[in-house]
Formats: sequence, structure tokens, C-alpha cells
Amino acid sequence: MATFIDVNLVKYICGCGKKKPVCKLYLCRHCLKIRCGDCVLHEVDTPYCPNCLENMPAAEAKLKRNRCSNCFDCPNCGHTLTTRATSHAVSNPEDPNKSTPKKMFYMACGFCRWTTRDVGIADKPAASGNWEDKDNPHQKRILSLLETYQQIAQKEKAEKERKKYVRRRSYLTYAAGMDKYGMVSVAAKRKGLLASPSTGGSKDEDTVISPVEPSDTVTTFEPLQDEIFTQELHLENMAGMSQRHAPPEFQPCEMTDLHPLHKHLLIRRSLRCKQCEHNLSKPEFNPISIKFKIQLIAMSHIPEIRIFTSPELNFDKECKVILTVCNPTSYNTNINLTTLEGDTQDDFSNSKITLPKDTIVVSRRDDAALYDVGSQEQEAQKDDPSVIAFRKANKVGFYVKVKPQVKEGDIQVSFMMKHDYHNTAIALTSENQEPQVVWLEQKVFVNLGPLKTQK
Amino acid sequence: MPLFEALSYSSDKNVVILDIGAVYTKCGLAGEIGPRCIIPSEVKNEKTEKIVKIWEFSSTEELYENLKNFLFHLFFRSLLVNAKDRRLVVCESILCPSQVRETLAKVLFIHFEVSSVMFGAGHLLSMLTLGTNTGLVIDLGYSETVVVPVYEGIPVIKALQAIPVAGKAVHRKIEDLLKETAKITEDGQDKPISEVPDCLTEELLEDIKEIREHSCEVLFEQDNEEVSVSTLILDAIVQCPIDMRKALSENIVIIGGTSMLAGFHHRLRAELYDLLKKPKYKDSLAIKEFRFHQMPAKQNYAAWLGGAMMGALETLPSKSVTRDLYIINGHLTDWCSISQEKQ
Repeated sequence: MATFIDVNLVKYICGCGKKKPVCKLYLCRHCLKIRCGDCVLHEVDTPYCPNCLENMPAAEAKLKRNRCSNCFDCPNCGHTLTTRATSHAVSNPEDPNKSTPKKMFYMACGFCRWTTRDVGIADKPAASGNWEDKDNPHQKRILSLLETYQQIAQKEKAEKERKKYVRRRSYLTYAAGMDKYGMVSVAAKRKGLLASPSTGGSKDEDTVISPVEPSDTVTTFEPLQDEIFTQELHLENMAGMSQRHAPPEFQPCEMTDLHPLHKHLLIRRSLRCKQCEHNLSKPEFNPISIKFKIQLIAMSHIPEIRIFTSPELNFDKECKVILTVCNPTSYNTNINLTTLEGDTQDDFSNSKITLPKDTIVVSRRDDAALYDVGSQEQEAQKDDPSVIAFRKANKVGFYVKVKPQVKEGDIQVSFMMKHDYHNTAIALTSENQEPQVVWLEQKVFVNLGPLKTQK
Repeated sequence: MPLFEALSYSSDKNVVILDIGAVYTKCGLAGEIGPRCIIPSEVKNEKTEKIVKIWEFSSTEELYENLKNFLFHLFFRSLLVNAKDRRLVVCESILCPSQVRETLAKVLFIHFEVSSVMFGAGHLLSMLTLGTNTGLVIDLGYSETVVVPVYEGIPVIKALQAIPVAGKAVHRKIEDLLKETAKITEDGQDKPISEVPDCLTEELLEDIKEIREHSCEVLFEQDNEEVSVSTLILDAIVQCPIDMRKALSENIVIIGGTSMLAGFHHRLRAELYDLLKKPKYKDSLAIKEFRFHQMPAKQNYAAWLGGAMMGALETLPSKSVTRDLYIINGHLTDWCSISQEKQ
């Protein structure tokens, strides 16, 4: 859990030069580089409704303007509306004295108690509702304007293209002018053939684009009604800004104009490496599933460094700090730690660190061994007790010596971690091949916290 | 097959229209009659967990990070579209700082890898929604009011007028009025609201502004230089050549969210006629009548709607800056730049 709580204490450097905690990084198995959320390509995968969890094909979602047709949000508070049934007495057409109960449906918000009846929307006979949507009163006008502009744009484009064509044709007429070999007739025929569609086109261009009526202008406006000045205002009847902006086309001012809102869809995202265009993360198609088809998060590939104890740090004194390294892969991993001295990129570290010189072997992750306490699968490693503090399953605690160089602020150190990595991605192609082993280098930045306060 | 693919490819990629306002951002897709969403122009800072406004930045780096996170939210939560290889139309103010423009272009072209962006002036785009090409466009936004006369589709830049009086000024006025007069009851005791400074948030001010017509006087009060929203309009007309004036005064276009105040249009009209009688304008203007346009949209997304129309046209590619060109030039060409860079 420590991985997710104090995420900003230990950071790794990403391929794009940003420092991020390991749980927010990805490892591209094809370029073998660390990637972060900023240097991968995010892609829209599948839209789905967060309420009914129904998948919607992208084309349908586009048609419905990314809104679910069955689920509604409360226009008052944004909570999901639920459908309620009531019985409603309907007079029998055959016998006027008798009335038969009929089920009618309306929608209510379980959070703020808003109902469709509040705003005068009639109950519906079907549970699915067929709740009609409001129409934008300006739709016709906007579409007619748009049509005119499209015609003008087409003409403009055609004219541009014709200019190009004319230039080329002038050369052709010149060639035809030098009629030595009786080419004129052939050329003319060809030209005629070529020209016929274009003349047809030009006829189209010449057709006058019916100019759209410019919008009407008015000289006077309705003055404010006296009630605004004389009558007390009921704030609860006025819609707030977010309520107004929820349906941007209508922007109701008063609560009585609110209308149920179709629930906005959400999407699942997939991630792609910008360099090699391989997928780094791809969710399963089903929105209910939380599994991934592909998930190359760095946490399951890169050894993770953590601070074991909050260390006691004294100014200009060498202090022992225990860091742990955890191997998430299913292969034993060798780790070499080196300092980042002379690295121009390193403006982070402000103290001296002495690292273990030997290679640290971290045993592989074995899920079964985690539960099997008895059989310690310690592969008889001769550990130097001055370097290795403890070993437990796939985790090793080791000592580093830190000499704080600043009196105030957090003590920060950095180092380079070199580890071997068994790349299974490429090995898969030919079954019996050993996975390719590569050495990866990660720059690690650790924030050890402030000096021990002197008492 | 390649031709067919190309066709489906282009129709598949809806053009995204973006209008990042000082408080609210309007965004949607081209060819639609209303924006998909109007959301506050703010992002949550990942480190401090505070909500910060896009336009309140201290450094370009901060602006870059904020814009990146904000656009990410827009693309993947509001519009649900891929950003890569998409065409965009950005409605911007003529007075948009180059720092913001450049940073926005960098985020869009380098981070999101969009294929082209058209930067269109909001004033001009909103004319598209009317079907005319002459008009005096008044944009009452949040931080400033800008008047730009547009004649036969050409903005008359020399007559551009702007004052930093708009929605924000109204909010400040309400805040001042409340601090002066209002009382707050806490634990049975009345105390002036000025002792509890943090309770007046921007959202609260927005919500109560509707009735406080008294506070909207600030739009019409002339300051020390005798400038208000209404004189701005007349000043703009005076600055224009004499033969444009009649056409402009008969085609007044009012856009911007602040102009949606109830009764604003009526008041503005009355102010204009009143000002005409003043000696300052009586001698220089011979205008008898003002005529106002009515938008086929709410005023706060009028510029967006113009952008949506522009984005639906075939000529969009020829009017936009492509990613390749941006990478070659390394920066955007400003509209006021006269250098001979390849467009």
C-alpha cells in the first residue's frame, strides 16, 4: 500500500524527463523506455453509459451526441433520475361510470426530490418513457445559414482549383497551337472530353447562390417588467449557473424550465506509445469488467524502491537509511546502484549518498511463496550484513549512507539503478527461446524528509 | 480502397470547436447547432489540489500544464474524441495575449498532435450566425468589453474599443455592496459580512447577480475618462469613416455572457439614445436610429456557433495552420504580423 500512499517520495525519471512515482508510469516493452501519462497517446476506446453500463458503438454514440437514451440526470442536482410508477384512474370508454387503474410513470430524483411533475411534464404510460426532447427553436435558421455558407465554400474551393487547372491548360493550348502533325483535332477531341465535365461544373458554379436572408434587426427591446422591481425574488425559483449551462442550447433561467438531461457517456481509454505505436494499456471491451487486455504499467516490470523507515537525519553526519527494493517480475533480478555524479540533469539531490557497491540479487516474485511461510525459499545467498538489512520473499532491504548537506528543507538524494529485465514480449514469437535479457537504467529520486529537529 | 478510406477518415473526424473564455469554456463539434458543453475554465492542480483558473497563471509553464490538463478533460470527458490528427477551430479574442495563443498552439500541436488549428476572431465568427457581413460587434465577456466594427467582413481595427468593465466588474460591485450593507447571522448574532471575507465566492456572486440590477449600473457608469459600455459603442462609430457609420449603427450585434442579463438590451438602447443628445456626440454623430440584431443562439455561445459554422465548411483546411507548418515556423503568425511568412 505504501506505493499508493506517499507516492511522491520516491520518483523515477520518465523517458520525457519528468519525475513521476512508479505507480504512474508505464514501461513500453518494445522501446524498453519508461513512459508517463504525458508522453503516451491517449485514445478513445469504447463509450459506455456509467449508469446502465451499456456499451454503445462509437457511431451510435456520435449520433446521440454522447448521451445515453435511457438514463437521465436530474437537472436540479445532477443525480441520476429513477423511474417511478403510479396508478392513475382512467375512465373506461365503454362504461363512463367505471374507471380502470392504469400504470403511469414519472421520473424522480432520489437525492433532491425533484420530479418531472414539478415542471409540468406529463406522466408517461410506458416505463421507458419516450421522454421527448426539446427542440432548439433556431435550428432551421442555423441550418439554412450553414447550407448557404457551404455553397459559398464549395464555390471558393472550385475557383481555387480552376485556377490551377487554367494554368496547366494554357500550356496545352500552346502545344496545340504548334499544329505540325495534325494534333489539333486529337487534342481538341481530348480537350472536349476533358472539358465536358468541367464545363458542367462551371455551370454549377455560375448558378447564383441564393443569398440567405440577413437576420432581422429590431429597434426596441422589451423593458424589464415591473414585477422585477416590486416583487420579492425567490432565489429557490431561479436556476443556478451550472443548472443553466447543463443544457447549453436552452440555458433555462427559472426552475420551472428545467428538463431532464440525458446522461452523458463515459469512455474507456487505451494508451499507446508515441514512438513505436504499440499499445501500453487496453481495457477489455465489456465496461463491467475491470480487467485489461494489455497493461504495461511500470509497477509490474521495474523493481520498486521504497523508504523502509523514516530515517533520523543529522546535518553533515553520515546516517544509515534502509531502502527496500521489490522485484515484481517472475525472474531473479540483479541490481546495481551507482551515483548520478556529474549528471547535468540532476538538480534534485542536495546530499551525499554512499551506495552498496555489490550487485544485489532480488529473488523473483512467487505468489505461492507469499502464503507459504514455512519453506523459506532463500536461495542461500551470502549476504554481507553491512549491506543487506533483511530479505523477505521478493523484497530486499539494504543500507545506504546519506550525509545531509543542507540545514533546511527536505533531504533529497538521487542514484542510478541498473537492473536486468527479462523481456517476454519478443520471446513469445518463438516458443522455446529464452527471454531476451536486457539491462535497463532507471534514475531514482528519493525525498527522505527533513533533518531531525534538535531538541 | 485508399480513396474510400480517406473519405470515411475525413467524415469520421469531426472538427472540434473551442472557445476558451475567461470563466466558461464553450466546446463542441462543427456543424452542430449548440455546444456540447459549457464548463468552467478551470482545472484542479494535481500537486496542491486547488482549483485554478486557466487565465490566472504566473508563468508560461504553469499555463502549459493547466491547458494540457484542461484540454485533456475536454477531449476525453466532455467530447469523447481522440485529439490526434483532428482539426480544430479556436475562437479567440482579437486582444488575446500572444503568450496564451502560443502556449495553446504548443499544447495542441506538440502534446495532442492535432492536424490543424484555425484561429478565428470571435467577433468575426459571430457575424456568421447572422448572415450579414456588416455589424458593430460588442462582446461583453467576463473581464472586458470589446467593441469591434466589422464592415463588409473586414474588422475596422482602428476603431476597436475596449474597457475592462464586464461581468467581473459587476461581481466586484456586488461584493462591495454586500460588504457595505449585508449582515450575516452566525450563532444568533448579526455581524457585517465584511468580517467573514471568504464566504463570498465567485459562484455565489454569479448566482445572485440576476436581480441586483443596481449593481449592474457599473456597466453604464462613466469612469474618470467618461467611458462606459455605451459610450464605447458610440466611440467606435465615431472612429469609423463617415460612410460606414449608418450601416454600423443599424447592425449592432451584442454577444458575450454578461449581455444575457435580464433587461440589458433595453437599458443599453435607452443609454445610447440618451448619449446621442449629449453635446459630445450631438456634434459628431448624425445617427437617428439604432438597430440591433438578434442571434439564433444564446449570446454566450454566439462566437462558438460562428466557429461551428466555419468548421463545417470545405474551405477550413485552407484557412488553418497545419501542424507541419507550425513545426517549421516554430510559432504562430499573429494576425497583426506583416512578415512574409508562408501561410
